[in-house]
Formats: sequence, structure tokens, C-alpha cells
Amino acid sequence: MKRHIRLLRTAVVGGASLAMTLSLAACGGSGDSAGGGSDEIHVLVYGDATNKVEKQLVDTFNKTSKVKAVLDTIPGADYQSKLQTIISGKQAPDVFFNWGGGSIKPFVDAGLLMPLDDFIAKDPGLKSHFLPSVFDTAVVGGKPYGIPMRGTQPVLLFSNKKVLADAGVTAPRTWDELLTTVKALKAKGITPIALGGGDKWTTQMWFQYMYDRVAGPELFQKAVSGDKSVWASADSRKALDKLKELIDAGAFGTNYDSVKFTDGGSPALLASGKAAFELMGSWEYSTLQDAYPDFVKSDLGYGPFPAVEGGKGGPDNLAGNTNNFYSVLKNTEHPEAVAEFLKLMYSDEFVKGQLSIGNLPTTTNTAKFLDGSANPAYSTYQYDLVKKAPHFQLSWDQAYPPAATTTIHQAVQQFFNGQTGPDAFIAAMQSLPAA
Amino acid sequence: MTTAAVPTADSTEKSVRRGRSSRPATGVGRPGFAWAAPAAVFFGLFALVPLVLVVVLSFTRWNGLGSPEFAGLDNWSRLLDDPVMVKSLWLSLLLTVLGVVVQTPISILLGVWAAGRQRNRAVLSAIYFVPLLLSITAVSVLWRAVLDPNFGVPSQAKWLFGDGNLFGTQTGALGVLVFVSTWQFTPLHTLIYQGAARAVPGVLYEAARIDGAGTVRQFFHITLPQLRNTVVTSMILMVVGGLTTFDTVLILTQGGPGTDTTNSAYYMYQKAFKSFDFGSASAIALLLVLVATLVSLVMVRLTGYDRMRSTMEGV
Repeated sequence: MKRHIRLLRTAVVGGASLAMTLSLAACGGSGDSAGGGSDEIHVLVYGDATNKVEKQLVDTFNKTSKVKAVLDTIPGADYQSKLQTIISGKQAPDVFFNWGGGSIKPFVDAGLLMPLDDFIAKDPGLKSHFLPSVFDTAVVGGKPYGIPMRGTQPVLLFSNKKVLADAGVTAPRTWDELLTTVKALKAKGITPIALGGGDKWTTQMWFQYMYDRVAGPELFQKAVSGDKSVWASADSRKALDKLKELIDAGAFGTNYDSVKFTDGGSPALLASGKAAFELMGSWEYSTLQDAYPDFVKSDLGYGPFPAVEGGKGGPDNLAGNTNNFYSVLKNTEHPEAVAEFLKLMYSDEFVKGQLSIGNLPTTTNTAKFLDGSANPAYSTYQYDLVKKAPHFQLSWDQAYPPAATTTIHQAVQQFFNGQTGPDAFIAAMQSLPAA
Repeated sequence: MTTAAVPTADSTEKSVRRGRSSRPATGVGRPGFAWAAPAAVFFGLFALVPLVLVVVLSFTRWNGLGSPEFAGLDNWSRLLDDPVMVKSLWLSLLLTVLGVVVQTPISILLGVWAAGRQRNRAVLSAIYFVPLLLSITAVSVLWRAVLDPNFGVPSQAKWLFGDGNLFGTQTGALGVLVFVSTWQFTPLHTLIYQGAARAVPGVLYEAARIDGAGTVRQFFHITLPQLRNTVVTSMILMVVGGLTTFDTVLILTQGGPGTDTTNSAYYMYQKAFKSFDFGSASAIALLLVLVATLVSLVMVRLTGYDRMRSTMEGV
């Protein structure tokens, strides 16, 4: 039986891991990872522009360490799928990038990850040097499983200042102001809010904030820990009603489901002045900086999600990705080396490196270096926001385990474009597996 | 064809052996089983073995971590109750039928035209075949950009596209999927029809012309009947391609809006690599195999493919 299972797994995972082996072999660092008794630790990260800093840290680490770190990258949005196919096999890394929360829950359940209590007992700095609201995202079942390793990504309401000025309005501070602003902008023939609904997770951002503002963070906390009844509560329905009110007011236009953020559609709407606002993660800044530097210099505005009068959630609460994390595999052969490597995540070099490319680390020493960041004003604004936030809600699709993602995405899209009503949305959310 | 080939295996081998030892080959023998052996081995290794494993996997619960655990008929009963699954099968069939209905007439006409001797024909044909050379991924990304409601063609042609919400409605999204695959795959089928149209004996046309038949009558009474076998071949390719449509869905619509373009192949991918539910994904895969088998059996019956005989002399 054992052999059959192995055969089965080999066959199914075969294709994916074959591709992985090839790509891992291709990006330098040959040699076995966990197995084989080599003097290496493999660090697996999401492949993008931030790899520059990660590579630099690995080099720094390798200068003094006997056990060498090897950086492996998986490019693109397939990171999570590929990670899942290799993590229980021979190519499993020693340390890997993730989003905390539900994204690592299945690995914890499968007993693959190492709780970091021992590391922290030996070096309390691994915990005390990070902002608590961020560090807590990677706590699963009361045990810490991740060390923050990139920048924080709160979702902010970005705006085109020129468009707002032309329409004679200012960025809204409350929900009612938002509705008035929408009316004024529509009268001018401008789509009030750009939305890349084709991506679905962008639509989800509106739900995250509405639920937080109307029902307070507790509702989602309960829901994600298994109390499905909260989805049917009066608060939940009220959040959906308010959202519906905004949609029906024409705030998003009529073709948002055909627009995407990922191919630059919705940022183009904002930058070209065809839309006035976009609710997006803080990476919107670097996205726009890349494509429309002139617009960013003169007209890009940013602010928090509006407050909702009479709602249970404070206006300082945030939603988004608190940060990314490094988690450690239980069967790593070099736990001491890994612990040493993780210490670099609160080093001055790490903070400076991340800030220089526009990321905002969530270490307590970040404040010292804000002046040296790519845009000090923006970084300082974000840092203060994250520091004073009473609650930082991890994106719903990351807070739930991956098995829930598709259902969440379909539910938010269908409710938003009117294919389904509140009852269907509630039923869909109640069908999700708990984290 | 295999039935015709099997009995000749011995004679082929003998003739080959004789050819080697004494005199040069008197001619190539008929295809024997030995010729098919490499293909058979590969087919077994990469088609039959995985198929069996998928059957096993469909009775288990497995998220890709650790070992699969036996789950009995759980995946199957859940799947048959799943409205998205039923919808996805219909969508697969719908996409297939639409593909065949749209692509067949276009590629027959183009293929027959391309088989002629008109001026500039070669140049134009070469242009037609360009889409075939492009990767479907690139093609999908390209069309997604062209059809962007705010910056693409719809923003310039509001009289035709309205607000341009092509990917936000089921009709629009299905339309785009059919259009893009037609754009990409018509050249392939045109190529097949071109070859077949060129093989039609010229004497038939000469005779028809003498009898006073015009171009249209020649087309319907000579060309089309002569293309019959080719139509079946081309349609089988289209059906197989249609049922397994995946890349265009992944890039153009991601199964949306909602589940409106989630066909079975994409739903299987979602279950396996988004939800990490390999048991259900395997069950969907098997359902798709069943449906495809059923469809091809029906096609074979309806088209009389099973009764077709090769017209090649001696085979």
C-alpha cells in the first residue's frame, strides 16, 4: 500500500516537481536541499523585484556562515500552487516565503512546520523587534510560525487629486461623504472608482473594509475560526446593504468585471483621469511610479478607507497583507543556521534595503530609516498608519486556507455585479472551511 | 486500421529479415505491429497508467500533503450534487458545439479557396496561418488587451460594444472565448481542408464543367462530398480541443464572471491547484473522459466513420 501511495504521488506531482527541479536547478545553487547532508539551507521566495534585497541578505549571511544559504525563486502568481506540490517532497526548502494566516495552516496541520518558540526563547529579538499586529498574523493555533520578511501592504484609498479638484470635491473622510463625492463625480461624467473586478481579489478588498467598519473586526475573526452563524447576522447584512448602495449609485461604472489590476487596466483609469479613486494595496504606489511617474509626482493622493458612522469598527483599522513571512520546515538539517539567517530580518541592512525599493518593513527600527526611503512622506504615512492601527485585518483570501479562495472570489464577484443577492453571498461564505 | 495491420505482422517481419540477408527490399511491407510498439509503450506509460492512478485518486481525499486517505464515493457524491460541476459540463459541451459550428464553415471555405490557383493566394494564405504560429497564451493576453473596455477597441466602437463589459457577462465572455479560439485554430483546419481539396481529382471538375455546372454547384456536388472524411477528421480535432479548452479560459476569463465560463477543464484545475482538492479534481477529470468518450462514440455513429473504408488500393 505504501508503495502504491508513493507511486500515486510521484505520478501526480511528477509533472509539477519535474518542472520545479528544472527551474530550481536552473537558478543556480545545485545540490540537495533538506536531504543529503549538504551544508546548505534553501530559501524559497516569491520571484519579483524584491528578490534583489533577498539576494543581498543571502550574500551577507554567506560571508560569515559555514552553512550557506541558497535563494530559490518561483516566479509569478503560481507560487502557492508550486509550493504545495514540493513542500512535502524531496525538493522542500528549509525556509519559505508565505502570507501567514490560512496560507500556512495546511502545512501546520500536516506537521511540516517548526514552531518558532525555541528560536524566540534563545533570541527574544525575533519577536520583540517586530510590530505585534504584524507578527501575530503568522501565529497559528497559539504558536508563532513566521518571521516578517518583506514590507507591509495595507490597502489604501488612492485618488487623482486633479480630477477631484476639477469636480470641486475632496477625498471623503466618511461613508456619507463618499456617496456625495460619487454623485458629484458622476455628474462630471467620470467613473468615480476604478475597480479591476476581473481579478476578483480587488473586489474582495471592498468587502474586507465594509465588514470591518460596519461590524468591527470581531465578526470576521469569529467567522474564520469556525463560527459560521456570524455571516447571517444583522451586522453582516448591513455591511452588504451599504456596499450595494454604493454599487447601485454607479460608483464603479458598469464594466469593472472586464477590467483588471494585474494587466494595468485599473491603475491606467486612475492615472489617466477617467476615474477618481482606486482602493488598492500600498504597492499601488510603486505600480504607478513605474508606469506614470509624472502623475505620481503631481496628482497622486492617498488616504485611509472612509469611516462609517454608527459602525462598530474604528476608522483606524486596516485591511490588507500585514507582511510576508519566512516559515521554517521542521525537518531542516540546520536549525541553528536558519535561526541565524532569520535574525537578519530585523537588521539595519534589511530595513534599509527594503526601504530603498519602496517596501515598508514592520520592524521597530524601521522608523529610524524612513528618511532614506524611496519616498519618505509616503513611507512615514504608511508606517504611522500601521503602527497606530488597533486592528490589521489580513486579506480574506489569505486568512482562510487556500481551499476557500475560489469560493470567496466567486461570491464577491457575483454579489458585486448583481448575479446573486445577500442570501447567496452569506450561504457561500458559510460553506467555507474554517481556518 | 489496426485490425488490418495485425495479421500482417509476421509477413512483414519475414520480409524485412529476408530483405536484410539476401536481396535488397522488394518494397516496404505493410505496417506491422512492431511499427506501433514504441507508440503503444508510450501510450501505456503516459496515458493508461496515469488514467488508472486518477481513478484511484478519485476515491481518496488528498490536498497534496502527506498521503491520500481513502474516502469511498465521497468525491463522487459531492460532485454529482455540485451545481457548478453540472454547469461546467454544459459549458464544455456548449463551447465545443459553438467551436465546431463556427470554425467548420469558415475553414472549409478558406481551405477550398486556398487550394486554388488565384493570384496572391500564396501570400494571403501565409498571412492566414500566422495565428497558428503564435502561442495561445500570447494570443489570449493580446486579445484581453485589445478588448479592454476603456483603452481597447470597445472604447472606440461604442455603437457595437456598448460599455464594453465583454468579460462581465456570460454571453460576452463565451463570445470572446469562441472568437479567440476560432481566430487561432481556423488556420489549422484550413490547412487540413486545403490539403484535402487539392487531392480531389481534377477530372471530376472537368466533367462537371462540360455538363455546365457553375462554381457553386461544383462546390456542393463535388468538393464537399469529396471532403467528407476530412470533415470528420477536422471535427474530431475540434471536439477534442473544445472539450479540453483550458488556456484561453485561464487567461481571458478565469472562469468568470462568477462561474459563467467555468468549463470542466478549468474547474478541474481550480479544484486541484487552487483548492488543493486532488480527489475531486480527479473525479472531474474522469467525468470529462467519460463525456468525451460518449461524444466521440456518438460522432462515430452519426458520421458513419466506423463504416468508412480506406480508398487506398491494397489497404
